[in-house]
Amino acid sequence: MTREEVLLDFTSRFNDDIIDYYDKSGSRLYVTIKPESIVGIGTYLFRNMGARFNIASATDLPPNIEILYHFIVEDVNLIISLRVFLDRENPVVDSLAREIEACNWIEREMSELLGITFTGHPDPRRLLLADNWPECVYPLRQDYEEWDESADRTRGI
Amino acid sequence: MMFLLYFLVFGLVVTIVMGLVTSWIDRKVTARVQYRVGPPFLQPLIDIVKLLGKETVIPAGAAREMFLFAPLLGFAGVVSASTVLWANQLHAAGFMGDLIVAVYLLTIPSLSIILGGFASGNPLASLGASREMKLVVAYELPFILAILVPVIWAGSFGLGDIIESQKSFMTAGHISGMIALAVAILCIQAKLAMVPFDIPEAETEIVEGPLVEYSGPALGIFKLTRSMLLFTLPFFLLVLFFGGLRFSGPGFFRTLLEYVGIVAILTVIRNTNPRVRIDQAVRFFWGPVTILAVIAVVLALNGI
Amino acid sequence: MSLKLKALLKSPWVFHLSTGSCNNCDIEILDCLTPRFDIERFGMLLAGSIKHADVLLVTGSCNRMSVERMKELWEQVPKPCLVVAVGTCTASRGIFKDSYNCPVPLDKIIPVDVYIPGCPPKPEAIIAGVVKLIEKVGSGND
Repeated sequence: MTREEVLLDFTSRFNDDIIDYYDKSGSRLYVTIKPESIVGIGTYLFRNMGARFNIASATDLPPNIEILYHFIVEDVNLIISLRVFLDRENPVVDSLAREIEACNWIEREMSELLGITFTGHPDPRRLLLADNWPECVYPLRQDYEEWDESADRTRGI
Repeated sequence: MMFLLYFLVFGLVVTIVMGLVTSWIDRKVTARVQYRVGPPFLQPLIDIVKLLGKETVIPAGAAREMFLFAPLLGFAGVVSASTVLWANQLHAAGFMGDLIVAVYLLTIPSLSIILGGFASGNPLASLGASREMKLVVAYELPFILAILVPVIWAGSFGLGDIIESQKSFMTAGHISGMIALAVAILCIQAKLAMVPFDIPEAETEIVEGPLVEYSGPALGIFKLTRSMLLFTLPFFLLVLFFGGLRFSGPGFFRTLLEYVGIVAILTVIRNTNPRVRIDQAVRFFWGPVTILAVIAVVLALNGI
Repeated sequence: MSLKLKALLKSPWVFHLSTGSCNNCDIEILDCLTPRFDIERFGMLLAGSIKHADVLLVTGSCNRMSVERMKELWEQVPKPCLVVAVGTCTASRGIFKDSYNCPVPLDKIIPVDVYIPGCPPKPEAIIAGVVKLIEKVGSGND
């Protein structure tokens, strides 16, 4: 399939869920979708279109939290990034980890560093933070404050 | 009384000194082959002295008495084996069957590494010790067969008789002797845990193997035992295949040449080979090497 | 100077420990062990296990998970042992000073004997640092 056929298939199938469509260059595509449809679109890209799940990245952009899921369709040199906006007070989204095994750890990392809840995740444990890190303190949020009194923020020597 | 003298002076002191010198030769030649300057002359001695000055940390899950006893066992084995060899060399004070005693005593250092590895309470140490066990089972077979060749030529199991019978023509002069010498050198490479057979202490795989929990004087005694084995095993080969050491006249230079030659062969093999896996090593020793040893024995029985 | 210390300085076995580094300092330490910057002429060998170590080469800005582990490892090293902090991250955490995951620099966790700055320090700098450490300890400034 050529790139145009891939794009045509994708946009025609999920027309209701796509909010925005931004073609940055010929091979880099940002598609904003509704949060409820991420599992359906992600599974379709992974299983039927032969795309490879690369990574997911999340940022705290007030008033939203934005998650980008990057899929790579290698035959046609196309990177599709699915953008999802979540409400900052209560960021909840369905977990893609049950369908795509590669999503497992990155969702754990996003949930502990930014406080996103992934419903239906098979293994919602802590991944990177230390054992004595307090719960519900999310370091990558904009309003993170230092909670550790014994930390030394001078230059040391 | 005489044996006590042999034990202390020759078995202990001379073997330690010659072992450290041989260890330095090995490291210096390795450094030169790798195009760099090597360590200074007293380096192996300083290593042992430094290790005697550190503290011994005993892990909580270790079998404490066996952990501390294992290095002493290996040390005792190599000192006793060296005493037997020197007693035969200098004073002809041997007894019938002391070749078998020497072979048994020379397996005790490998046994002590296995015991120390299993007593450490560390899974990596157990893995290294089990590999050492498999290696011992692999190389002992061709080693014993290769030792049968000088026994056949001398006609008895006593070291004194073997030295006596080589006064006219040494065992390594016969074809079967040459083959047996080659087999014995390969087996010694494995006994000393030198590359390509340093499987128990594979640094990149299991982090020092059986010695991973040892520190301080216990480790120092293990390292000292290995250096002493580096002297005792070529000495053993010299006694069996070249008629022992000679201390007078041109014979002295010949002895020196043979001894340094064996050590040089061990070092060169060490520097030019990668490490093999344990199953490849077992297949190697029970396959081609044992067949060569059997050929050597058959040729020796037929007088070639 | 006692015989124990003199022997330790002439045959220091190095052990390399990374507390969450970007691996550049680790690569430079690996360069030191190559034949070009031969350190065996000083008697230094790479020790495989921490129980055999005399000099610890520590790299990396200590993140929270490695703080507890560094303390446990320091208990397990047979003393006397010297500590060398390689790179800017161990000395002062460098650009990670305000990071949420790097609370303290290395010398608040274990006692450090010499600091080698640089990001990463050249192998010549690492060797010069270890030699300066040996001279400093040897001249009695323990």
